[in-house]
Amino acid sequence: MILSGWETVFFWIFSLAAILAGLLTVMARNAVHSALFLISSLVSVAALFILLGAEFIAGVQILVYVGGVMVLFLFVIMLVNVGAEEEGRAAIFNRTPQVAAALIFSLLLIIGLLYAINSGYQGLQKRDSISAEKAAAASTAREQTLTTGATGVSRLTRETERVGASLYTYASLPFEIASLLLLVAIIGSVMLARTVKQEIAADDVDSEILKQTGSDEGEVSANR
Amino acid sequence: MSHFVPVLLLILQETSGDRFSAAWESTKHPDLSKFLVIAAILFIIGVAGVLTRRNIIVIFMSIELILNAANLNFIAFSRYLQDTGGANPIAGQVFTVFIIVVAAAEAAIGLGIVIALYRNRETIWVDEIDLMKW
Repeated sequence: MILSGWETVFFWIFSLAAILAGLLTVMARNAVHSALFLISSLVSVAALFILLGAEFIAGVQILVYVGGVMVLFLFVIMLVNVGAEEEGRAAIFNRTPQVAAALIFSLLLIIGLLYAINSGYQGLQKRDSISAEKAAAASTAREQTLTTGATGVSRLTRETERVGASLYTYASLPFEIASLLLLVAIIGSVMLARTVKQEIAADDVDSEILKQTGSDEGEVSANR
Repeated sequence: MSHFVPVLLLILQETSGDRFSAAWESTKHPDLSKFLVIAAILFIIGVAGVLTRRNIIVIFMSIELILNAANLNFIAFSRYLQDTGGANPIAGQVFTVFIIVVAAAEAAIGLGIVIALYRNRETIWVDEIDLMKW
């Protein structure tokens, strides 16, 4: 896999944007700013997915992460809004020794990962021994065989078709388990987020008892 | 003695120039290792965020960053296997779909817990949530 031409330019733009936005996600004082920086990081990574030829995953990333999960995050930030953090009255990081230990750990991790990637990639190259020209020629030859889109500008890849086919054939059991997991997540989050009044109402308690205990949380949880 | 110095300088220039031009060539043609390095940096930013921040929502966002770095690794290896003719290149993309599903479920449950926590304890700072400590 070797990119060339404009792909290189876009690779550097989007990878640097992803890293910068990730750093700002961690360092922003306001949680809403954090969420917005995380959105831009996710969009940049989706652009990297498109560079890698995974258009379907890029679309899923935008729709699910940016359209679903991050909106959920923003809702929760609005619900539990903490003004002290934004106004600078409270520290956003842990105590200094903890931060120093975490940074030393991260530094060791980055040294280890870079070393591992370097040596592992050299071993991989030795095993596969694929040259830049051969890979580029193979990818252009593969692109020539694809059918042209209706607009005549781009060529349609069969990548999405293959992802869908494998999701329903050899990955069908994990697919069903994933749907079950989503069902459990829906029910679990509804269970977790409801208030004591809603809990009592769902349990079919007599309205007299509801009136008596509805305001007192501790007593209700002791009775149940 | 005096004619050693220019030779040394020449050798130094040659080797450093070679190394520099090789690095420049590799930046002009990003390959698998570049994507892996980007993913590793994103992962480490996420780890640092989880370890240092006090706001539990920002910690969740850092976890999303970590999962996204793993996704980038999967997609990069998927493309690499496609180009080198390795075994089943589409598996990386399928696995990424499942990671996104798990991330969505984790965010839903985690944010439900955050709301319940805020309702009971009036705080979202992890160093004040120490009921189960000692």
